[in-house]
Amino acid sequence: MEVTTIDTILDKEKLKDLYYHLVLTRTLDEETRKLFKQARFAGTYFSAVGQEATTVVPSFLLDNDDVVAPSHRELGANIGKGVPPKVIMAQIYARKTSPDKGKSHPCHYGYAPLNVITPASTVAGQIVLGTGAALGFRLLNKKNVVISFFGDGATSRGCFHEALNFAGVHKLPIVFICQNNLWAESVPLKLQTALTDLSDRAKAYGFPGVSIDGNDVMEVLKTSKEALDKARNGGGPTFIECKTYRWYGHSEIDPADYRPPEEVEYWKSRDPIPRFEQLLIEQKIITEEEKKAAYSKAKQDVDEAVAYAENSPFPQAEEALEDLYYEGE
Amino acid sequence: MHKVTYIEAITEALREEMERDDKLFMMGEDIGLYGGVFKATKGLQKQFGEMRVLDTPLSESLIAGASIGATLVGLKAVPEIQFADFITPAMDQIIQQAAKLRYRSGGSYRVPVVFRVCCGGGIGGGLYHSQSNEAWFVDQPGLKVVAPATPYDAKGLLKAAIRDNNPIIYFEHKKLYRSLKQDIPDDDYIVPIGKADRKLEGETLSIITYGLPVNYALEAAKELAKENIKVEVIDLRTLLPIDKDMILESVKKTGRALIVHEANKTGGVGGEIAAIIAEEAFDYLDAPVTRVAGPDVPAMPFSPPMEEFFMVSPKKIADAARKLAAY
Repeated sequence: MEVTTIDTILDKEKLKDLYYHLVLTRTLDEETRKLFKQARFAGTYFSAVGQEATTVVPSFLLDNDDVVAPSHRELGANIGKGVPPKVIMAQIYARKTSPDKGKSHPCHYGYAPLNVITPASTVAGQIVLGTGAALGFRLLNKKNVVISFFGDGATSRGCFHEALNFAGVHKLPIVFICQNNLWAESVPLKLQTALTDLSDRAKAYGFPGVSIDGNDVMEVLKTSKEALDKARNGGGPTFIECKTYRWYGHSEIDPADYRPPEEVEYWKSRDPIPRFEQLLIEQKIITEEEKKAAYSKAKQDVDEAVAYAENSPFPQAEEALEDLYYEGE
Repeated sequence: MHKVTYIEAITEALREEMERDDKLFMMGEDIGLYGGVFKATKGLQKQFGEMRVLDTPLSESLIAGASIGATLVGLKAVPEIQFADFITPAMDQIIQQAAKLRYRSGGSYRVPVVFRVCCGGGIGGGLYHSQSNEAWFVDQPGLKVVAPATPYDAKGLLKAAIRDNNPIIYFEHKKLYRSLKQDIPDDDYIVPIGKADRKLEGETLSIITYGLPVNYALEAAKELAKENIKVEVIDLRTLLPIDKDMILESVKKTGRALIVHEANKTGGVGGEIAAIIAEEAFDYLDAPVTRVAGPDVPAMPFSPPMEEFFMVSPKKIADAARKLAAY
């Protein structure tokens, strides 16, 4: 993609802020992998390293009242939306201070104050909820939008079809962002679909589908901004396939040895963050010093978040019996 | 007071609640222009518009999941599942999303969705238009499940469900739609969720049931009264949360429990009721807890003699009651 001046889509301050959110996402993710290896929290951890551009960038463009319907592994969508790192870390640590009060498995991040719907592990189910939220905005005559995030694996499920079909019928204010990382846990794309470009699926639903380099921050930015503006202005949904890659296994207990090493190396060489950094430096939006400062601030923010989580209490055992029903009027 | 059928009671509840709350909407297959295959939503699209009474594609997962999603931005929903038999594609959304969203978010979200589900047989519906699958949902904490047996309860329970702010499965029995008429109040009323109703007082034995068979139990009770078997009929009305207090109070008084439901016996709600009685009223029992239920076959067969064989009836209830009374 040709970019001459990149601050035509976002101004320089916003671009710097976006850059920081990308660095924060990467830093938190890599640090949390280390914490998992030290057995500092229970369960497992679902890293999204390598896929940051596909989630951080679109979420960063949303207003507070806009809805994100994420899958698990959507760290970037949360950080892009503005969810504080300490909230995320408390979720991973299953502490009482987590928005879910310790009920959900690590990486099932949700945050009602910013309209991030806490996900289930049932892949693609959340696409239907997001479509419903978009229907809600239509019924309420609100100019808000929804982003539904999911992976390539989700596009094989029936509820994916039911949701996108309906979103097309009513031209709902929703953008479907598929992170095609080529693997549904251990199953390669060629065993999931006969398609090469998953965006071809959109044709069946009567709205545009595009396939883009999900590791190119500027391409994700431009494409998602156009799609969000269109959805907000009554133009209906867009399906964006971001071709990307998760560097590590499905979770930290998965060595991902089903993938050829040269494939992993190829994608690591296409790391979205240095590509964006280089552009920002070339265009004099950040300096080398500001780049270093971003990483040290991110490390500091993550360290504070970890301290917050580790100093937070666990829920009481009997709290397992709470939060079943809403009791009020 | 005015006289209504069971289905008219449902339509009245929907209309009044839609008028009362402009955040309430409904979606489902054929509910709009057509007014629903049984006409439960007749006239509502004309009154409230195409978006608030929304005709959907053949997509039960969407009907359930989009209803849930819409509530997350401030709406309330009362989707229709045209036949209980067709609810299976929606199970993922009902069980994994509706029932668990509040819990998994630590109470961050509430899910005010009432799934109206048309259930039950005895009308020549065959395998796929006759099922009673309420036990699938009673097994799932996070949901509430109601099953009215009369026009009065149909209206009052539907209103209470719509105002409840939690995901509720509302089972309406299609054989009751036009077979019952009852006087109901002109003024607004609700029937509280979680409260059973003692439809008939008696001392000999307790019949504990819900939905269509409540009416069969009352018929059977008339016959049995002639034989001096005084039956108490408990209409559960809500299956989750179940009114344990009334079940136990009744069984402690009579010492005999007959549980009746149309769904097949194994894994049915009756087993749970029997367990409650065994756990908490064992010392009061004078006879084994007994169940009258559908046979354990995959679904209600179509041909009339087999359908009749499947259905519970006043006679089957009376026969079981006689045996229990004589024990």
